Amino acid sequence: MSTPKNSFAFGMIASALAATLALGAGVAMAADGPLRGNVRVVIGSSSTGGDTYQNSSIVVDKLAEKLGVRMKVDAVGVSAAYRALDRDPRGNTLMIFHDQSYLGNLYGVEGYEDPFENYIIGPTIAINPGNAYLVPKDSPYQTLDDIIEAVGNGTTVRVAIQPGGVSEIGYTALKNAIRIEHPGKEDNLVAVNTGSQADKNQLLFDDQADLINGSVQANEQYTRLPEDDQKAMRFVWLTARNDTIQQAPESGLGETDRETLLQYVEPNVSVTMGDEDFTFDKEFFFLYNKDMDPAIVEQIDATLEEIYAEGEIQEEQKKSFFIPDFMPSDEALAHLKEKASRYEDIIDSLKK
Amino acid sequence: MDILASLDFSFFLLAALGTLVGIIFGAIPGMTATMAVAVCLPLTYALGLEHGLALLLGLYVGGISGGMVPAVLLNIPGTPSSITTTFDGYPMAQKGEGERALKVCIVASLVGGLISAAVLFLFAPMLADFSIKFSYVEKFLIILLALTVIASLSSNMLVGVFSGVIGIWLSLIGTYSLSDGGNGKTRLMFDFLEPYLVDGFALLPVLIGIFGISTILLEAEKGVKGGLSGQSLKVGKEGHFSLGMFKGRLTNLVRSSFIGTFVGMLPGVGGSAASVLAYTQEKNLAKDSSQMGKGAPQGLIASESANNALTGGALIPLLSLGIPGDSTTAVLIGAFTLQGIQVGPLFIPENSATWYVMMVALVFANFVMFFLMFFAIKHIAKVVLVPKYILYPIIVMMCVVGAYAINYGIMFDVWTLLIFGVVGYLVQKIGLEVAPLIIGFILGGSAEVYFVKSLESFGTYSIFFTKSPIAMVLWGLIAASVIFAIVMEYKKRAQHRLEAAQ
Repeated sequence: MSTPKNSFAFGMIASALAATLALGAGVAMAADGPLRGNVRVVIGSSSTGGDTYQNSSIVVDKLAEKLGVRMKVDAVGVSAAYRALDRDPRGNTLMIFHDQSYLGNLYGVEGYEDPFENYIIGPTIAINPGNAYLVPKDSPYQTLDDIIEAVGNGTTVRVAIQPGGVSEIGYTALKNAIRIEHPGKEDNLVAVNTGSQADKNQLLFDDQADLINGSVQANEQYTRLPEDDQKAMRFVWLTARNDTIQQAPESGLGETDRETLLQYVEPNVSVTMGDEDFTFDKEFFFLYNKDMDPAIVEQIDATLEEIYAEGEIQEEQKKSFFIPDFMPSDEALAHLKEKASRYEDIIDSLKK
Repeated sequence: MDILASLDFSFFLLAALGTLVGIIFGAIPGMTATMAVAVCLPLTYALGLEHGLALLLGLYVGGISGGMVPAVLLNIPGTPSSITTTFDGYPMAQKGEGERALKVCIVASLVGGLISAAVLFLFAPMLADFSIKFSYVEKFLIILLALTVIASLSSNMLVGVFSGVIGIWLSLIGTYSLSDGGNGKTRLMFDFLEPYLVDGFALLPVLIGIFGISTILLEAEKGVKGGLSGQSLKVGKEGHFSLGMFKGRLTNLVRSSFIGTFVGMLPGVGGSAASVLAYTQEKNLAKDSSQMGKGAPQGLIASESANNALTGGALIPLLSLGIPGDSTTAVLIGAFTLQGIQVGPLFIPENSATWYVMMVALVFANFVMFFLMFFAIKHIAKVVLVPKYILYPIIVMMCVVGAYAINYGIMFDVWTLLIFGVVGYLVQKIGLEVAPLIIGFILGGSAEVYFVKSLESFGTYSIFFTKSPIAMVLWGLIAASVIFAIVMEYKKRAQHRLEAAQ
């Protein structure tokens, strides 16, 4: 009988597993503020390759170090993140997400409650200035203006987006601009609803879309391919504010420098909202359980203030092509509410 | 010189450690390669890119391979891609050939892993260009081809197809997710279930429930006799593994490795489709496939070489398009973004040092996997000697823990596990077939997405036939697969009649 051997094997497996998990944990120092114990930071994206995870990791690492609390980012996705946050008013579960939280609600997507009503809005931490629109390199449209003109003249232009949020807002704004400049023609701009960046790219390769939503980070290399490559693309529009891109490192991203990127933002590319140009900065911020101790809100605000005052985190964020953007909770709330109401107007103006 | 500087002792140590931990993750039902990579991802921050990648690639290779252990010994697929390993592995283990089955799996895994690594190294950019020729339509057809295995896998074709359809129906419960371009509305459920079923039933708890828990329930029904879980281990020449077992199976081995690599490189088709497809092809093309599903090594070879070949395959679009080929590489991409490195069509030419280092890690991890498992398997295989009344409670406990952990602490996943354990038990009691049902469940979701997206994009059903030469070839394969299954069914019936007449 070899049962002892087997329990030995089980023991081995268990201890190896424990060792692995412990390896990742590290030793936490004793914390003395209201935030203590283990803190789980859930994010509204289930991807560990995306900007939310990357951004959250940078901030949470610094925060954990400064607070002496053990913190971990968990890429659980929107609905799971909200559920985790709802369950925990103690402050051991925090959430980081971006404009999708209120845009999803404005677009009426199931599972998106009004974040301003249901959660405490925490501080903003950074902007991803990379939200972009691209055409194939051999596209007949040289600029976004060409597209607006073409649609105004009755040509159908298909735009690949992921519906219900950040990916759609630029499309909505473009449609709104066409409605203003060429009333009645906006229906010639057609959304092709799809999912991941891979799917959007694929639609462009297959000639099933004329314009796609993408990002500087995910698509920059495609813009450097020779024109005869089926995969080659060209930026026509970055939705970020001119000021935001101005803060990016001069070298830009990959081989595309800041100067080049600035060609694709306002005022060089104009998507009108009537009295001003539409812009969209994708901003990341904390969300807390409605009943969380206000002392924790203050503690995180104060700690982040310190971290940002030291200046190191900005370098790290810029290295990853994020624009540092710290606003304490109350300021962040006012700012995001104002932002949301601006986009609500555009979304509403297209509802018939 | 850059490359040599990265390849220090700690590099290889990390790759080996990653492989070991990966195998453990893969072997525990409910824990997957994806999870192993996700758990260790933050570590790569401190390790730096090259060393971090060594660890993660080790975890990836180990995690995919580890799934074979519970698949063979306990009839529980440790990872979704080892599902077809259970078909022949478990019957072999029941005959006392667990060790032999596992060794076949290990050799097949090694070959699959190495072939795919070679393909990755030699043809990555070229194949990436080929992979983008597969649009929604072709991807749907690939999945349809994999689904045809249902016909040849069932012992009674009508019942099998019916079970498969039930599986597909189960997979559609939930939402057509916005992140797939759907409408995000819940369907096929009562209102009160919405909070739980928004994302549908999670794949792994369903798999483990239907295979693992239901097997244990069936055993429990027989009552505890204090016996051993396996009959007895075969000793002597008969039960032993030798490389001679691969004689006449080289075509299968190589074909399955290529199928695995190929499916891996198609983003969105999913890992489990690779082993299912390889298994189907072996079933259709082998001279004698009558023993498949009853404990034939050829089934193991097809399944395991294909699922390990996934690793190299899934890295092809990751490194030459910036698009992950499966769920694990989707997590792996985080190692690059955490370091501020963008993967895309110019990644390989611009980061050749990293590229070579990754290849070294990948090949090394495959060898480490081979040696670790080949020599440890003798002991691991003895798990079937543990009395059932000790073994089964431990398995149930591990399954529950795994199901709870799979989505980071969702209690409903544990209920899913138990519900599908009972479902799996009942399904077998009323004579439905489990394997077709589960294959329908695994592939149903993506079949829907690609089917609907094809229609949305092209607006006509005829596009499925006329889209491209690739689509036509795929239809040819689908037709061949279905016809083959029908012919086999007739032969089987004729034989039965003959036997009955005698």
